[in-house]
Amino acid sequence: MAPLRDAPAVPGHTGGNPARMSRPRMAGSISTDGDAGTAFWLMAPALALYAVFTLLPIAATFWLSFNSSAGFNTSASFVGVDNYAKAAQDPIVWKGLVHTFVWLAYHVVMAGGLGLLLALAVSRLRVTQVFFRTAFFLPHLVSLAVVGVIWANIYDPFFGLLNTGLTRIGLGAFTQGWLSDPALVLFSVNVASSWQGFGLYMLLFIAGLQNIDHSLYDAAEVDGANAFQKLIYVTLPGLREVTTFVVSLAMINGLKGFATVFVMTNGGPFYQSELITTYIYRLAFQSQDHGLAAVLCILLSLLAIAITIVFNRWRARLSR
Amino acid sequence: MLKFLARTTALAAMIAVSLPAHAETLKMWGPEQITEPLVAQLWNGIKADFEKANPGVTVEFMPPTGTISNGAVQAAIQSDAGPDVILTNSGIGRISVVKNAKQVMPLTEQYEKRGWKDEIYPWLYTELKGQFGGEIYEVPDGLDALGIWYHKDIFAQAGWKIPASWSEFETLMKSIEETGLQPIAIGPRTTGSAGHLFGNLLQSASGKEAIGKALRREIAWDDPSVAAGAIRLQKLVEAGYIKKEMAGLDLDGASRLWFNKRAAMFVAGPWFTANARKAGYDLANAGYAPMPSDIKGADIPTGGVGWSWLVPVNSKQPELAMKWIDFMLSDAVMKKRAQDPASTMIYPREIPGVEPPTPVLKDIFAAAAGGVGYNPSVYLPGPVLDTYFQVIQGLISGQIGGEDGMKQIQAKMAEAK
Repeated sequence: MAPLRDAPAVPGHTGGNPARMSRPRMAGSISTDGDAGTAFWLMAPALALYAVFTLLPIAATFWLSFNSSAGFNTSASFVGVDNYAKAAQDPIVWKGLVHTFVWLAYHVVMAGGLGLLLALAVSRLRVTQVFFRTAFFLPHLVSLAVVGVIWANIYDPFFGLLNTGLTRIGLGAFTQGWLSDPALVLFSVNVASSWQGFGLYMLLFIAGLQNIDHSLYDAAEVDGANAFQKLIYVTLPGLREVTTFVVSLAMINGLKGFATVFVMTNGGPFYQSELITTYIYRLAFQSQDHGLAAVLCILLSLLAIAITIVFNRWRARLSR
Repeated sequence: MLKFLARTTALAAMIAVSLPAHAETLKMWGPEQITEPLVAQLWNGIKADFEKANPGVTVEFMPPTGTISNGAVQAAIQSDAGPDVILTNSGIGRISVVKNAKQVMPLTEQYEKRGWKDEIYPWLYTELKGQFGGEIYEVPDGLDALGIWYHKDIFAQAGWKIPASWSEFETLMKSIEETGLQPIAIGPRTTGSAGHLFGNLLQSASGKEAIGKALRREIAWDDPSVAAGAIRLQKLVEAGYIKKEMAGLDLDGASRLWFNKRAAMFVAGPWFTANARKAGYDLANAGYAPMPSDIKGADIPTGGVGWSWLVPVNSKQPELAMKWIDFMLSDAVMKKRAQDPASTMIYPREIPGVEPPTPVLKDIFAAAAGGVGYNPSVYLPGPVLDTYFQVIQGLISGQIGGEDGMKQIQAKMAEAK
């Protein structure tokens, strides 16, 4: 065995923790002395873009939330926490907040749940799988605004496909004012939004299903497990990682819920489908109350941060 | 190489000399229906006439995608790449939104300097002067006159007619409802449509004077003399004459109900002729009458300034924008528009000798000849409008009562002071 060579002496090094000793340089590598500087200049364009398009707007929104501003070229006046107090006293803000949580829950369950169910169904198909995968994914390619228009027509109480169809098959008693009933409207609009989104979640679940080791099913079969038991003890645990990813994605998409509500109900009737996002739009672009709109933007950001923290903790606990 | 440079320079100089001395482009936000061939034909003709009268000027249409109500005008101005002059549906409520945001130029000086003051009805000029402490931000292009549209054939077959009193009108609605037809359609998901019927009901129940006072804050909106119209709407919903499901309809949905003759009546203004044309509806079958009232003089259309010209503060061609407005107010253009089949409104001054292009427009002009009442949708301050429209939705969907709804509007009025 060849004797181990001593590490080359490092000039100026007087001992201490070997782990902190400088490594020998490789030919052609960037000089250690210039590493930080070079890295900075390499990152500078990205940092500049990030600062201009992300950090600056965040700072501007924060600044605006302490000001009273009625428009883009109106000199803003500092009002302290007045806008925050106004938001706290505004019943529509609270309504919008509750609706946003309900909207999130609907979207995760409906879009995520439908995605999982269809993935389970489609993955069993042999010949027609590509066709169904494509067909179910197609709604995802349609813009949310267009989806809103399509579904608003489907829900039309007098001419819409849904009520007309129910009447034609003798279920006229089940016809509803899908967009006028206060108890139904948020659900109805969310169906449209979820219809647009489930295709993506389905594809993610299919990818997850393909990664499950097939020998686990063979083993379960040998143990006499039926289809339901295989689903509960093999498939769903095998999809844990994908499920957490889909849930996080669905929550982010849910928080961004705006277009379908804006197109289909504009927050109505009588604020029953108002989300924080739709109220922000109305305040900022219709009423020109930029200060209050900025407060709600900050509230929405805090909400997103809180959800992310809670969700990540839950995910960490799951993967333990 | 030198030869090539010399030739290129000479060519560039020739092109520069051949171009008009002051090539200017006026970006114009035109009428909502400009994508409709008939409307486009009229406006392209106006554009050509203006360009001919102003050599070197090119008018560029920016097809509008919305109004002040949905924030599209504000967004277009804020983009700083927006139009130099805007035609949009207006009224003091909407104008206050862009005026408060300092997005549009004050035009009062131009009214004097360019003589616009004498090119609109004197009462209209007085009204405009009274809105923002004497400062005017809009030049009216068209007035609205909202009333009941009905199908002449259905009414003739059933022996119905629009009565003179409210109690008879309720009886008429009952008769219509019993035949299985919807008595009256409304699409409150669209702000305009919500306000059209509601404004008619308010005036019918309280009279023009009371609504005017409420708009000027001389009476509270929840005062019984004003709240009567909201209670009237609540009762119509409770009686089933206006279906709760209609709270989920927009203007298109409600219009479809009327065009397909599943609804007997619809409240709209002269602009509805454009919707009718688009839907292929026979305009000769359209009848028009103001909403009946038991109050003397209240049975007139509601309305106000419906369409106006605005000049954004960041207009790149403000002087040209003023010239364009001069041109639009000229006798020649006004007459051309009023007689054109694409005409959809009442003009801001009397145009003698003009025959309206459709019979229904003739009826509307006749109904509005004695003046129009107030459509609160265009008079209420911007911050109140959202509550106003949501309250109408709340009344139609049966979520609130008339008195409660008016209290909410009054609370917003007090806040908006």
